[in-house]
Amino acid sequence: MRHLKLLGLLILLPSVLVLQAATGWTQAKPPITVALVAAMSGGSALSGEAIKRGLTVAIDEINARGGLLGGRKVELVIRDEEGNPSKGVTAARDVIEREKAVAVFGGLHSPVGLAMLPVFHELKVPYVGTWAAATAITRNGRSPNFMFRVSANDDIVDHFLAKHVVEKLGKRKPGVILENTPWGASNQEGLTKWFGKLGAPPVGIEKFNWNDPDMSPQLLRLRNGGADALVMVANAPEGAQVVKSRAKIDWNVPMVSHWGISGGRFAELTGALSESVVFVQTYSFFGKQSEVGERVIAALKAKSGIKGPEDILAPVGTANAYDAMHLVALAVEKAGAADGAKIRDALENLGEYRGLIKTYRRPFTPEEHDALTEKDYILVTWRQGKIVPVSTK
Amino acid sequence: MIVQLVLSGLALGSMYALVALGYNITYATSQTVNFSQGQSVMVGAVVAYALYVGAGWPLVPSVLATLIALAVFGVLVERVAVRPFLRASSIAWLLATIALGIIAENVAMLVFGKDARAFPSSLAVKPWMVLGAGVYPHELLVPLVGIALMVLVELAFRRTLAGRALRAVAFSHDAARLMGIDVTRTISAAYALSSVLAGVAGILLAPLLNVSATMGTTIGLKAFAVAIIGGIESARGIVVAGILYGIAESIVAGYLGTGVREIIGFALVVLVLLARPWGLFGVPTPRRV
Repeated sequence: MRHLKLLGLLILLPSVLVLQAATGWTQAKPPITVALVAAMSGGSALSGEAIKRGLTVAIDEINARGGLLGGRKVELVIRDEEGNPSKGVTAARDVIEREKAVAVFGGLHSPVGLAMLPVFHELKVPYVGTWAAATAITRNGRSPNFMFRVSANDDIVDHFLAKHVVEKLGKRKPGVILENTPWGASNQEGLTKWFGKLGAPPVGIEKFNWNDPDMSPQLLRLRNGGADALVMVANAPEGAQVVKSRAKIDWNVPMVSHWGISGGRFAELTGALSESVVFVQTYSFFGKQSEVGERVIAALKAKSGIKGPEDILAPVGTANAYDAMHLVALAVEKAGAADGAKIRDALENLGEYRGLIKTYRRPFTPEEHDALTEKDYILVTWRQGKIVPVSTK
Repeated sequence: MIVQLVLSGLALGSMYALVALGYNITYATSQTVNFSQGQSVMVGAVVAYALYVGAGWPLVPSVLATLIALAVFGVLVERVAVRPFLRASSIAWLLATIALGIIAENVAMLVFGKDARAFPSSLAVKPWMVLGAGVYPHELLVPLVGIALMVLVELAFRRTLAGRALRAVAFSHDAARLMGIDVTRTISAAYALSSVLAGVAGILLAPLLNVSATMGTTIGLKAFAVAIIGGIESARGIVVAGILYGIAESIVAGYLGTGVREIIGFALVVLVLLARPWGLFGVPTPRRV
């Protein structure tokens, strides 16, 4: 017995040495750094966490396959911009100049994305948005354009919502209620434009501030203005107040919403009333999943301690970030170098990628830097606290 | 529409009054104001949520435990952020109470989380129709409890020994001390009481507003506006001003739009300060030299 053990040890020892040498050799290759600059604290912290989850799942997959460019591991550095544009600018410079990030992912706040725009063009590193929807982030008139996005675009969302209200619901007097912020303003512009083009200009546009407790005055104004449908641009807490106030004044009109209400606990806040709202998403982890979807959920369960899709809070952040990271990885391989400008060029010329949200034929072109189009948006609603797609056909 | 707006404004207005009454009590006894009153509103809602929803306690013990926590919070604010500065005749208590409020808010964010949660109330599920206007029964309960509580506080001031001690301290520290009243402890009690009142507002509002770490900030600010408008030394003035402010806010928002609501509200504060610094219902006190 003792001899056997000794023999085993003798065999084991060299193999351990070889293994160490092998891993030592791969570790010797410098990692490829990518960065996330997003709100990781404050009221939108949930979105930052969701994006981080999506990126991490994708990075783990890439590194498990042996990394990029012949064995270089991908590393993620994270900076909290706290929703503050000037902090975003500092953070973007920091991750590129000091951490040598070759691509930077962006978070929920559009004003931060817009403020960082010149930095990416100056330092020649691509930005890939995973949440912020402001139209001007990607459509900025720059050439070459370093801003990419795997997320919704306000202008397209507004068209999507307007079309649904006018053509599918057959309503011609929409009332709009939106938050009194730049994000609200961006959608006020889009909704006014698209409803106007569809021949159904809004009968009223009402605003509310964050933490406003009661929305019945605004809703009464819209009702008195003759609105026959309600379009909402809000985050979860205020969205919940709108829905509760609407129930209180006993006003039953179809209600559609931008996706802000999916960033928090809207269903918990409103209970059964949540089922009266349909809203837009780029992806749903509920329902039948593709092979990629199953894999991502399994990875999330293993890493983040979630039990099911209902625990994936702010799901669009995770889904968008997952695909965004894989697209960047493909671009790094295509560029053949960890170099921002080359990766940018490669992003515009990627081939087909079978992702989580969809199969991307050609994700970006020199003219179109939004990987997701109106065709990729889905309308969803809540049924017993779960987000389920609604048919729009 | 007007009925709807008045009913909507009533609940919030009575809570402004309750929180503002807390400003009045500490101001009367110590010429200081607890600027973390808004956070007391939040603490009330968050602690009640943690016990009632989180830990699954029955309602009454949850509320009682919350009130005790609020009293402790009030005493803590006075001890840490007011007393040291008052002794030095400094107005640093102003900043110190604000700082303590911000700390409370961030502690709540760390412990409670950043997203808003729902506080269940069986009275806030189905609206009633009152004169053609919809109202949640809970919204009617809020002003009833609020006004009852304010009457109770007023009675306690006039009828109980502790209440009389509080009034004596408000009248003159020296005279109260000569009568054997422990002024320091009385001020401490005033802070506890004011924090409890704000916390009650928080518990009452929780089912209507959602519970979150930042829910109290605006209410605290508006309650201060109410205290100024009503006259910070006049408890009755504050009660009337609070309710009127809530209703006026709702009516302005309904007829003129929410954009002008805050403009009109706070412009009123400035106007009152200019025209009647002692408040609409207050009495100018001759300055004692």
